[in-house]
Amino acid sequence: MLLVAACGKGGDKAAGSAGARDAVLDAWKAEKLAPSALTPATVTFGKDCQSGTIEGIDVLLCNFASPAEAKAAADQGLAWVGAATGVSQAHGAALVVLADRRKTDPSGRTINRLMKLAPK
Amino acid sequence: MRRSIFAIPMVLSVTLFAGLAGLSGPAIAGGKQVRYVGIHPIPKSEGGGICYIEGPHVHIFEADKIQYRDHHGDNYFVGDPVAYGYDGKRYAYKGHHPIHVNVVVGDDDPDDEYCYINGPHYHYFAPPEGPEFKVVGDAYFYVGEPPRVYVDARPAMMKINAVYQPMVYERPVVTVDAPVGWIGARAEFVVPTAGVVVDGPRAGAVVVPPSAGVSVEAHIPAPSIHVDVGIGLPGVVVHERAPAVIVRERPVIIEERVKVKHDNGRHRGHR
Repeated sequence: MLLVAACGKGGDKAAGSAGARDAVLDAWKAEKLAPSALTPATVTFGKDCQSGTIEGIDVLLCNFASPAEAKAAADQGLAWVGAATGVSQAHGAALVVLADRRKTDPSGRTINRLMKLAPK
Repeated sequence: MRRSIFAIPMVLSVTLFAGLAGLSGPAIAGGKQVRYVGIHPIPKSEGGGICYIEGPHVHIFEADKIQYRDHHGDNYFVGDPVAYGYDGKRYAYKGHHPIHVNVVVGDDDPDDEYCYINGPHYHYFAPPEGPEFKVVGDAYFYVGEPPRVYVDARPAMMKINAVYQPMVYERPVVTVDAPVGWIGARAEFVVPTAGVVVDGPRAGAVVVPPSAGVSVEAHIPAPSIHVDVGIGLPGVVVHERAPAVIVRERPVIIEERVKVKHDNGRHRGHR
């Protein structure tokens, strides 16, 4: 019984938070920015994260239960950026992390555009 | 607080996640992250040009202490981005002025910094509407009351002009009279001896501190000497070692250049 309740709660969370990541992806796609297929990523600061690339930039999108939790993880997201130009910002309940590891965006215009398109 | 035994697997799993995280993304190796917020130039060694990321972000190059201010842990650029090739929307300013950084970057952390660039220059933001700026000839002039922090930091921060003076770029052309109250015409904010900038190949130039209330900018490109005197009393002396060049006892005038377009006698004064 407890197990069922726990599963049910977890399922609700997953359904709710998936919307935050999807909202970001939808906003990008609406502007003809095509992300690669995202695959699950394991990081210390989020349990529901996926990574891929968009416009040659590495992207990590993590879902959190609330905007506050996503915001609290923003600094830790910079660890994923590593030794590169990058950003880590909460957009709603999603944490958006971008890293220009291949230096495809030297002026930062693409990163700036991606972050401005991501819904708050 | 009593810890349940059921918490132990949770701690272990978190530890395990932490260990795996090191494998999932690149570690910070070699380059240390430096935090920035807002548009800023990129060092030539890193390719040059402008970084157009407006929000908080990181690079693996350092910010200098003259053109950047600390905004709650982020480096914020207070210089003129046009000098580095910025091609976006720009706003002309003349002289020193405050920058309300939190307004520019759009966060809730109040932070007033100051731009110490002399003369006309650009920023990528307009100041917020209010009485502290007046717009004349499409340029913003600061006419507010500068706080003590501006005055105290001025001797050190005026060094930013040594960065911009030799740069060749399209500066705004401001040919109108400055409005009443403009900071650039207020004697009380002129620093007596600091703010002296000596450029040029003659590193041996000596500037003798002038009387109180005098600001001197001496540019000494060989073979001539050019001295700009801002305001103050007579007694401005600039000595330069071999060959000696002395400029002395010149009356000092606040000069605001005004371009006068002649109307070939059509106005009343010529009738």
